[in-house]
Amino acid sequence: METIGVAGAGIGAGLTAIGAGIGIGRLAGSAVEAIARQPEASGDIRGAMILTAAFIEGVALFAVVVCLLAVL
Amino acid sequence: MIKKVLLLAAACVLSLCIMRATPPEGEEGEKFNASEVILHHILDSHDWHITDIPAGKENGKTQYTPIALHLPWILYSSRDGLKFYGSTHALEADGKFGLDHHGSVYAKKIGATHAPTTETAHDSTHTTTEAHHVEDMDESVSVLDFSITKTALQIILVGLIMVLVFTSVARGYVRNRGKAPSGLQSFFELIIIFVRDFSKEYLGDKHEKFLPYQLTLFFFIWFSNLLGLTPLNSNIAGNISVTAALAVLSFILINVNGSKDYWKHIFAAPGVPKPMLVLLTPVELLGIFTKPFALAIRLFANIVAGHFMVLSLISLIFLLGDNGRNVAGASGGAVLGIAFAIVIFCLEMLVAVVQAYIFTLLTTVFISMAVESHDDHHHETHKVLDTEVNRDLRLSDFNAH
Repeated sequence: METIGVAGAGIGAGLTAIGAGIGIGRLAGSAVEAIARQPEASGDIRGAMILTAAFIEGVALFAVVVCLLAVL
Repeated sequence: MIKKVLLLAAACVLSLCIMRATPPEGEEGEKFNASEVILHHILDSHDWHITDIPAGKENGKTQYTPIALHLPWILYSSRDGLKFYGSTHALEADGKFGLDHHGSVYAKKIGATHAPTTETAHDSTHTTTEAHHVEDMDESVSVLDFSITKTALQIILVGLIMVLVFTSVARGYVRNRGKAPSGLQSFFELIIIFVRDFSKEYLGDKHEKFLPYQLTLFFFIWFSNLLGLTPLNSNIAGNISVTAALAVLSFILINVNGSKDYWKHIFAAPGVPKPMLVLLTPVELLGIFTKPFALAIRLFANIVAGHFMVLSLISLIFLLGDNGRNVAGASGGAVLGIAFAIVIFCLEMLVAVVQAYIFTLLTTVFISMAVESHDDHHHETHKVLDTEVNRDLRLSDFNAH
């Protein structure tokens, strides 16, 4: 029973990484594109990017904490 | 530069030799338990454990003498009042309190026979709710633990460092009035202005009221993260109680300064049909609490994850080396683990400042969302329009060339 729990936590952490990776990847891709189109707005875009990345990361870390609780 | 790298490499090799010199050979059943070691390093404790030194053998097992700084227990209970103990030993010797296997304190029954608690109580077959049960526990007495733990001590340390650094910076401002900044001041002025600028961007004219809190928050998180990366120190922000306390402060600041419009948007969002409010209001109410909750979890998880990674990589040495029995494996693990650990460490230095920035920035954003009223909205649209006009002008300028 315990091994199933550990396996579940591992799978969960993996799925979290996939989700967060897609999210941050899309975000950074769009931001770089936007900066390339309009370099003078790079400061604003970078600020918005970091803020949104923090939100995505927050969701991912919620999942990580749940996975950790399942293991420990 | 090359000399320094060589010196570092020599130090690594030397430390490996020292490890080789004291392999705990011939100890059966002593497997390296990585998760136990990592948890010991991450969790808070009542002593500042520095290292263990081998102190002779007993029954074929090497005995270790811990070198540790004992930290005081400060307990309050309705039965015994305020109690001080110099160390965990003193607490256990007194017999009034005991420690369960989680390390949390409970009040012992007075006059109970001091028979050693049978280990069956901690049997693995017991469920978690029963695991809390200890035989000689006096259920009617609740104990409050105000102890100066390792983390608490280091928070005080960070506070002292901050006082030292920032009084020096403040003295610099007085001394160099009208002149270029010097020394520590010239470094910290950059960062203080950076925090002030993003605060100004979000809060406008109101930023001066919140700037002291934002600066304190930023520098406290940054300094404590950096202190956590030095050897022998615990991860302060990797303790959920610490980040929760910071988040509670932000929560109070956000809601105390909430404007009329802020509360109106929560309880009766304008322009929303009445039946929908039944659904929306609970969500908005929940939103008040999830914001600081996310703040606390984000900081906690980031710092814990960083320490976890570094410690796991260092544990690789002992895992691959089979706890000192396999020298080749240990050497390979050392090269691999230390190389990766250095990379993660550099990343952690970055994370230390980025997390401080994000915590402060998000607090600023939430405060700005709470304090803004509809008059400010008006200004905001003006500003946006203004920049759009500027952009168009720039674009036409660009096209003309």
